[in-house]
Amino acid sequence: MTKRIILCIGTKKGLFVAEASKARRKFELRGPFGSGVAVYAALIDMRGTPRIFASSCNAFFGMKVLHSTDLGKKFKETNSAPAFPKDDGRALANIWSLEAGDNKKDLWCGAEPASLFRSSDGGDSWEMVPGISNHEHARQWQPGNGGLCMHTILRDGNRVHLGISTGGHYLSEDGGNTFSAANKGVGAGFVPDPYPEFGQCVHKIASHPDAPGRLYMQNHGGWEDRPGIGVLRSDDHGHTWRSIAEGLPSDFGFPIVVHPHDPDTVYVMPHEPMTRACPGGSPAVWRSESGGESWSRLAKGFPKKESFFTVLRDAMDIDDLKSPALYFGTTTGQLWIGRDGGEQWSCLFDSLPPINCVKIAVV
Amino acid sequence: MTVTIQIPATLRAYCHAATAELIVPAATVRDALEQLEQSHPTVYQSVCDETGAVRRHIHVFVNNAFIHDRDGLDTALAAGDVLSIMPAVSGG
Repeated sequence: MTKRIILCIGTKKGLFVAEASKARRKFELRGPFGSGVAVYAALIDMRGTPRIFASSCNAFFGMKVLHSTDLGKKFKETNSAPAFPKDDGRALANIWSLEAGDNKKDLWCGAEPASLFRSSDGGDSWEMVPGISNHEHARQWQPGNGGLCMHTILRDGNRVHLGISTGGHYLSEDGGNTFSAANKGVGAGFVPDPYPEFGQCVHKIASHPDAPGRLYMQNHGGWEDRPGIGVLRSDDHGHTWRSIAEGLPSDFGFPIVVHPHDPDTVYVMPHEPMTRACPGGSPAVWRSESGGESWSRLAKGFPKKESFFTVLRDAMDIDDLKSPALYFGTTTGQLWIGRDGGEQWSCLFDSLPPINCVKIAVV
Repeated sequence: MTVTIQIPATLRAYCHAATAELIVPAATVRDALEQLEQSHPTVYQSVCDETGAVRRHIHVFVNNAFIHDRDGLDTALAAGDVLSIMPAVSGG
């Protein structure tokens, strides 16, 4: 069967799915699914027949998980969404991450308030993971502007990395049973201690399967008094981190994405710390081809001025074709594609609702 | 003693009979919602969160009275009362 590009776009008003041939010339848009309801997380699950999962955060009626088995032509709700035990005292406010587990029907879900849930039946039932959800630090984490969210789940064998805003980076080395804060070198500009044990406002963490132990982090940077803490790298499974922000116009940003075929190539989207928007009104994605040692600006095709959009933490992704394309969505409802690894940008859709997340897969 | 729970159109898909009204025995609003949880858990979960609180953007009325203007979930019910579950006016 001819390969197709499937692009899931989670917005403030529901989930859109765009589909294109491998040439990526023209994308057909369908949706919104979960109409009118914000979608912060999507997963294109490539284990077996591709399935799409998406969160649907209904301000009226609570959380739902949407599920499609036909590449996003239609969606149904799973039988249940994650929920805290009745005696816990917390109530689920949002779902920020959905990731595939080991077995075909295993799913992992990061939620708000920051907590982790797992499903072993394709999202029809969920169990809270106490090792992190009831961690001794959990009641000390504080919400950032987006809420107290667990937005990143990265799995690497028995290691599980979690990103929490604001909680920091937590690492499990026993398959997700127990977790420890692993934030040595991860700074914070909003508490007196510049390098606290936990509580950092981590925005996103990314990794590459060909570089075991290496992680990239977009942290909450943009602090005049504590420069360089916004873009970080670890080479020891997240136990220690170091700045790779030198050369960027700002170390504030939300997403961080790694090239699918080269673990040394990493992309960020610097924003001005005060406006959380493109520096000088001139959008650019910045790329390092040296694991963060140096950076270059990619802006061909973007407006040169008067463009002040914001790209949120999960709103940038990259496909895995031979010459991959980057995709990002903006809070002003534009969906951009950066062909040839971000060398040439064009706007695919310019009037969608505000975009929270973008996920791409070649199926 | 029974009361009637009116289900909003948005949630009727979760009622197997697509019914707009449920008749339940209840002495308080809390009793009525517990009955709803037993008979239609998905509807209940759409109305109340895990702590048992009515969701922020849901309003529950007894006849024409907003329960927050009375005794909240402990509002006493009389035979024949009608509980209306309404989405609040909000959005943007």
